[in-house]
Amino acid sequence: MIVKTETAPFLDAFRARSRSAEPAWLTAHREASMARFGELGFPSRREEAWRFTDLRPLQRTTWGVHGGYHPATALLRYEFTEPTHRLVLMHGRFAPALSRIGPLPSGAWLASTEQTLAERSDLLAEAIETSDTVGNQPFASLNAALFEGGFILALEPGVVLERPVEIVHLGGEGLRPNALHVLRNLIRLGARSAATVIETYAGEGSYWTNGVTAVHLAENATLTHARLQDEPRDAINFAMMRALLAKGARLDSFSLTTGARLSRHDIVVRMEGEGARLALNGAYLLRGEQEATTAIVVDHAAPGGTTREVWKGVVDERAHGVFLGTIQVQPHAQKTDAHQLNKNLLLSRRAHVDTKPELEILADDVKCSHGATVGDLDESALFYLRARGIAEPEARRMLIEAFAADALDEVENVALRRHLAEHVQTWLDPERP
Amino acid sequence: MLEIRNLHARIADGREILKGIDLTVAAGDVHAIMGPNGSGKSTLAGVLSGRPGYEVTAGSVLYQGQDLLAMSPDERARAGVFLAFQYPVEIPGVNNMYFLRAALNAVRRARGEPDLDAGQFLKAVRAKLKLLEIGEDLLQRAVNVGFSGGEKKRNEIFQMAMLEPKLAILDETDSGLDIDALKAVASGITNLRTPERAMVLITHYQRLLDYVAPDHVHVLSDGRIVKSGDKTLAATLEKHGYAGFETASV
Repeated sequence: MIVKTETAPFLDAFRARSRSAEPAWLTAHREASMARFGELGFPSRREEAWRFTDLRPLQRTTWGVHGGYHPATALLRYEFTEPTHRLVLMHGRFAPALSRIGPLPSGAWLASTEQTLAERSDLLAEAIETSDTVGNQPFASLNAALFEGGFILALEPGVVLERPVEIVHLGGEGLRPNALHVLRNLIRLGARSAATVIETYAGEGSYWTNGVTAVHLAENATLTHARLQDEPRDAINFAMMRALLAKGARLDSFSLTTGARLSRHDIVVRMEGEGARLALNGAYLLRGEQEATTAIVVDHAAPGGTTREVWKGVVDERAHGVFLGTIQVQPHAQKTDAHQLNKNLLLSRRAHVDTKPELEILADDVKCSHGATVGDLDESALFYLRARGIAEPEARRMLIEAFAADALDEVENVALRRHLAEHVQTWLDPERP
Repeated sequence: MLEIRNLHARIADGREILKGIDLTVAAGDVHAIMGPNGSGKSTLAGVLSGRPGYEVTAGSVLYQGQDLLAMSPDERARAGVFLAFQYPVEIPGVNNMYFLRAALNAVRRARGEPDLDAGQFLKAVRAKLKLLEIGEDLLQRAVNVGFSGGEKKRNEIFQMAMLEPKLAILDETDSGLDIDALKAVASGITNLRTPERAMVLITHYQRLLDYVAPDHVHVLSDGRIVKSGDKTLAATLEKHGYAGFETASV
């Protein structure tokens, strides 16, 4: 077997880890996943899905799985204003002092991945997939081999969680810089169950978060999901969400990306059941040397599904944004109604965006569209505001805010929209207290 | 208030549009500048307001003794210069009230006045809305988005009423209006005439001047003012057209 040299430190870490209290099937899965990562190595830019992503910040550092944490990060600015079930993970590990879960209704499980492994390893089995061991997803394979942290939310059929679930992932350097945090998360909603999940990724220092989240929605289950990635400037955030929607299930997700030196957000959704509904929206606001890729594949594998995707990018200074969006419609997925739009605002001459929306339609009775735009601030609008006395920086800010706020219109939950809008404001005015 | 001397300006493609404008506007005066299409009317409005895309090649503009051309567009506005746009710009996502409050407070700060809070602002808005027969719902929308032509022009005059400029330049504010909207806009303008405020009405047609009697009328042709007079000049133009003046300017 050929093992790529860049995978050696991870293989060493894998061999060094203790595997005491783990079911045999999980150990076998980890070993197969590690072997797969060893074969694949880091992706090359010759691969289409990685063509636009500059992985150098990842490659020039040796990442290690170190223990320990320093609980210094200010949590407050990320806290949701309404009451929630809050689960805080420090470097992926449950931080009980900062968390506040429950009381949960019967039929609801919300716990860290560690605790779930100890008490409900059957649930954890749902968070792993064969593509971990045989697919072409090196970072998901690495994740399967090494994951320790994360959260698991599982609702039995008909259970409706009134309060949102708030997951705060706090990263940090641990005992040494360049720590690797490996998270495996699961959101599993039984038939007709419903939940709102707000995930936040933040922290301080230099670390690499590698998270894989499985989302399984049974018939007529409804998940409202928001994800805020506001990692510090030296951090790397890789996240993959794999969602399966059964008949009549509904996933409403919004992602706001403002953080990390390098980030990659893969979203793979399979519309398995008839009439599943997907709203998958987001915004990435980038400046400095930030490099952020959003890569989405939505596969309509059943008739009558709907997809709405609106992603907006604001890219300033020397940052680079990438949007790769594919909607597939299988031959029998008639009456699919799927629309995808990616709009970008470039604020500097050195800012850069690559966008590639694609449709692969194999059914004949469908309504599908896609589009992408990349543009500058509207000069005539800027002049209009200035002609009324508004100074140029403020006028620019108003127009940028308007562009970004437009994306938030897709968020139906008012409190959630306000929460995300606050973070857009913080990005616009970094000096703001 | 405003002294324009030998103003020459060209547009991006290098064509000279203004070829030596001389004009003096005193406080309290209303000047009408009339002229055919292509005579330089909108270029003059653009140069005075600081719109990008023009290059002043000669001449000077003094506003209250200051070099107007050295000021940025927003500095001009804060100093009391107001341009009513011929084509008000639609700005999706920017709420009309939010925009107007930001503008008003910017102008007030420059005048040394305190910011208005939300309550005071709303009170001021309501008082001026009546003046122009504008519904409050218009203000809840994004700036000019989905406004009819008449609503856009009324919104311009409404902004002028709120910002209380010293010098207002109205660029073809009468164009594209039906008779009711024209009357509403004209009465708005008339209400805003004060002994301190100067206005420059730029127009192709006389009809606005039937409602807003100017103190002075100038004919602009091929980048120069070729004739000046009182309000009777506008009537003469209406009767005989611009033909005679175009010849005179050659």
